[in-house]
Amino acid sequence: MSSTSVRPDVGRAVQAGSPVVPGGAPPVRRRGGPQGGWKQVAGYQAFLLPVVAVFVVLFLVPLAQTFYYSFTDFSGYSLDTEFVGLENYGRILTDPSMLAGLGFTIGFAVAQTAVITALAIPLAVALDRAFAGRSLVRSLVFFPAIPSIAVLGLVWTYILSPLGSGVLNQVIDALTGLGPFPFLSDPWMARGSVVLVAVWSQVGWHAVLYLAYLQSIPADYYEVATIDGASRPQQFRLITLPLLAPAITISTFLLMTNGLKVYDLPFTLTGGGPGYSTFTLTQSIITSGVAQGEYGRASALAVLFTLAVGAVSLSQLLWSRRIEGRIR
Amino acid sequence: MSASRTTRARIAYTGRSVVMLSLAALIAVPLYYVVVNTFKTQAEMSASPLALPSRLYLENYTSVFGTVPLAASFVNTLVVTVASVAVMLLVGAMAAYAMVVRSSRFNAVLGLCLLAAFVIPGQSTLIPLYRLLVDIGLIDTLTGLVLLYSAGAIFCYFLIQGYMRTLPFEIIEAARIDGAGPWQIFWRIVLPLVRPILVTVGVFQTMWVWNDFITPNVFLTSPANRTIVLQVYSAVGQFSTDWPSFMTLSVIALMPMVVFFVFTQRHIVSGLLGGAVKG
Repeated sequence: MSSTSVRPDVGRAVQAGSPVVPGGAPPVRRRGGPQGGWKQVAGYQAFLLPVVAVFVVLFLVPLAQTFYYSFTDFSGYSLDTEFVGLENYGRILTDPSMLAGLGFTIGFAVAQTAVITALAIPLAVALDRAFAGRSLVRSLVFFPAIPSIAVLGLVWTYILSPLGSGVLNQVIDALTGLGPFPFLSDPWMARGSVVLVAVWSQVGWHAVLYLAYLQSIPADYYEVATIDGASRPQQFRLITLPLLAPAITISTFLLMTNGLKVYDLPFTLTGGGPGYSTFTLTQSIITSGVAQGEYGRASALAVLFTLAVGAVSLSQLLWSRRIEGRIR
Repeated sequence: MSASRTTRARIAYTGRSVVMLSLAALIAVPLYYVVVNTFKTQAEMSASPLALPSRLYLENYTSVFGTVPLAASFVNTLVVTVASVAVMLLVGAMAAYAMVVRSSRFNAVLGLCLLAAFVIPGQSTLIPLYRLLVDIGLIDTLTGLVLLYSAGAIFCYFLIQGYMRTLPFEIIEAARIDGAGPWQIFWRIVLPLVRPILVTVGVFQTMWVWNDFITPNVFLTSPANRTIVLQVYSAVGQFSTDWPSFMTLSVIALMPMVVFFVFTQRHIVSGLLGGAVKG
């Protein structure tokens, strides 16, 4: 259920921060609505029924249930469910698999955000300049974000196979004579491999996002700066980077929240192993909640997870806004 | 002076081209590796994994189609994707229409609720939804999946209402004066006008549903219901030693998205600009 999430505030950031807005600013006058009797009003309000149903059935009720379960010993089968207060929360903090999941999930989110941002911005700048086969290159670097990351993760298990027959090990062996490296069976290499595949699949996508913003920067700025004697690195630091601030907000925000929600890639690439070294919070919720029927504990974890995602989203957004404000 | 400058520019251009093309090649190598090995025998693959195949060997394709029920999985995925995307677009567009045309305190509160629903990760409702599907007998059914994916309507709602607000309101006004009812205005006037955003949102949601792994993996159990991504995942054990067959299976599974990408790339990139970035 990697629920879709365009943040509305992301959309707003696009509108507020960048000239690339399809359709322009919304007209101010729009409120007030049609006059007419209650019949007509009801006719329009009826259009909201499906979305209200979706909200109540798929969001409101299950979310309330998650909160409720998290304070009980509900197992799904026994009828005598009892309140246990914060016991589930306490048990999470002493469960090594859940702590491992927490550690890896946060580490992964931070690592992918940092690495992809550091690579995508220079890549976007390069993609913006003239070179042979530019549109082909743009499509190629963008492409890995399109297919299912679960299937790509499976494919990468073969590429990274610790057996001598894994193609990456073969290449390294042919070039340097070193190896074979246990990419997926050494805890730290496995963590690094998950980040590597995540970067490979998403860096082009984020570069194209940055590229869209780069292209909206007027060329005059650079011409004037060149006349004034600013070097290329200076131009990048003083023109490009500040004007990319809204794109950085969006991109890092998405990388961070999607990083926290990660499940498919580590699950298909490493299965969470070796041990619990690439175990994710989501996998933890599914394993304990669905497979083991530990609803109470899994729900408590889900509550903590929701709060964490909310807190990270909010603080990161505020932080990025402040940076943006300072640069302006 | 100017001649040397053009020479320098040409050298820089060439240099950039070489660097960028090699970078693209580096990113594409894993994909090349997968595709090229589908045309090799196991022996040839382990002998020369990165070389071009020595001859056109198609046995992997025929054997994979023979051992994995791919056609059934494709049909499952297609049915789920089409139904889900249609439902979420319709629900999202209807909600956007009502919210744009009328404003009331109720609508404002509902708008805030939908905003909050955005921030909620799927993980936090997963367990109760699992119980719900068990209770209503939709666990392990494609209908159940469509029900779960209809949550995507909220994503559609936000993008569609953003676009709808840019429409000239006078059109709706005029239609109403001419005596058109709410449903007629929606179906005949508003929907055709918002088609560009429906396409963009539809493309993003199609990619999400088609590629999704977590929902089928948690909510489906019987092999007959598997979607294509789940089918590939389930077949790993079967092909753990037969790498070329597994690569072939992956290529077949990924092919529809490749074709989809070729035809919709424009919409995907324009969606990135419009803020249609999904997670």
